[in-house]
Amino acid sequence: MKVGFIGLGAMGRPMALHLHAAGQELHVWARRPQTCAGLPATVHATPAALGAACEVVFTIITSSADVEGVALGENGLIHGMAPGSVLVDCSTIAPDVARRIAGRLAERGIAMLDAPVSGGEQGAIAATLAIMAGGDAAVLERVRPLLETLGQRIVHVGPNGAGQVAKACNQMIMVAAIEAVAEAMHLARAAGVDPAKVKQALAGGSAGSRVLEIMGQRMVDRDFAAGIEARLHHKDFGLVLAAARQSGVPVALTASVAQQLNALMALGFGKDDTSSLLRVLEAA
Amino acid sequence: MKIGFIGLGIMGRPMALNLLKGGHQVAVWARRAESMQPLLDAGAVGAASPAAVAKGQDLVISMVADAPDVADVMRSVASAGNRGLVAVDMSTIAPAAARAIHAELAAAGVDFIDAPVSGGEVGAIAGSLAIMAGGSDAAFARAKPAFACMGKNIVHVGGPGAGQVTKAANQIVTGMGVLAVAEAMAFASKNGVDRGKVREALLGGFAYSKILENHGQRMLDRNFQPGFKSWMHEKDLNIVMQTAHELGLCLPGSAATAQMFNAMVGSGLGEEDSIAVLKLLESLSGQA
Repeated sequence: MKVGFIGLGAMGRPMALHLHAAGQELHVWARRPQTCAGLPATVHATPAALGAACEVVFTIITSSADVEGVALGENGLIHGMAPGSVLVDCSTIAPDVARRIAGRLAERGIAMLDAPVSGGEQGAIAATLAIMAGGDAAVLERVRPLLETLGQRIVHVGPNGAGQVAKACNQMIMVAAIEAVAEAMHLARAAGVDPAKVKQALAGGSAGSRVLEIMGQRMVDRDFAAGIEARLHHKDFGLVLAAARQSGVPVALTASVAQQLNALMALGFGKDDTSSLLRVLEAA
Repeated sequence: MKIGFIGLGIMGRPMALNLLKGGHQVAVWARRAESMQPLLDAGAVGAASPAAVAKGQDLVISMVADAPDVADVMRSVASAGNRGLVAVDMSTIAPAAARAIHAELAAAGVDFIDAPVSGGEVGAIAGSLAIMAGGSDAAFARAKPAFACMGKNIVHVGGPGAGQVTKAANQIVTGMGVLAVAEAMAFASKNGVDRGKVREALLGGFAYSKILENHGQRMLDRNFQPGFKSWMHEKDLNIVMQTAHELGLCLPGSAATAQMFNAMVGSGLGEEDSIAVLKLLESLSGQA
């Protein structure tokens, strides 16, 4: 199948390569052409040109505005993609923006899924991403074979926007858990107890979690090189709080964690791993 | 002075009336024509559009709901071609939005001031608003006689956006202040102590504040009529939190307070005064 891919960063590049390895004909576009160097793909001059050549197009880009630009802007996908083709947006963006893009594409007969992912760069490389999809169930079934080359758990959450809501929930739980682990590690050290031992003791019990395992270990090792850049979680928390506000839903803990992320940005840790929340506590 | 006034709601109407009382010639425009009638009765001239309000004036003032509205009316004002005009927005909007409007109007030869107010409807009627202004010295000097008709404590805080930064700071203090007084009230009652007596005792000490005095009394009276609607306070705290997010600024108290106001809007208390946060606390603690 002719598959387009836009957003060839830390996540997108291995995802695109998996699609190619599974036998798909890969088409790419990037704002900076050098990003496409060395990829086994046809390079296009614009998203519209890429869209015209493909049956399915994947995007994984940082911000709501960028996704909207690539999809609907001048030379955007909407100006090239044929009726019946599918846009699968794996970016993490605002649910209402995802719905708006899907609505505009639908006017041209182009289907869209919001299909944000969880699992980070490691998950992208290992093709073990969790994929949470919003959109028409039949459309998801059409592209499911492609998604299966990228991830293991693929869940149809609901209509357009539902995938982004699920991703927002994912971020709320995960980053709050990172903050909880950071506070526990910080307390252990301050109380004169070895954080590594505490982490080891907790791992078998009710507080055991993947966040404790992975992020706790980074904190113990004081290895704050990204993994996932913390600035992306900071961005996501802006989306989560805006969604909570739109729904009139109080999210006391999320709002509090968001302030720790603001402090993290101010302290210059935005390009480091989110386990740097430990360093925010140490700065106080 | 010849002054155009745009936006004649709860705040704008008494403010425009005070300009008339101060002897200024006032032209008005409002989205709903019936809002204009009380002003026309008091001697103002009606205009057909924001651009028409701006023609031939020394000063144009807007008092509307939100940043997109301010941008819209100010764009129309700039389109009137009245170079040298001073335009004042007294709404509460984000500092970044105010700075953007300032830049856009400067290109059209209009000097823009952000001058949000504090003091509510009571202050607007009494002409005793606190006015916090951001903009050039020259524009502030031009607007000052008009400010003097509407307010008492008039401070030129700094350049473009500085007024809105000040207003956001004001909303941090008043938002947390209302919540603090409400929590103290809930705390007293749950402990079986008369909250009225607690308020009385606190008024003489270091916890004295206008909020404890005025809002505290209204909490005792369970008078939840606005005043200042809680959805508007929620909107203002959202400006605070949005700005904090953009700047990388840790505001844990404001964040917690903003979520309480978010819960108020979500649970149908948005049209009540912000002191209705007391009701929310009571229902969370089984005091309802």
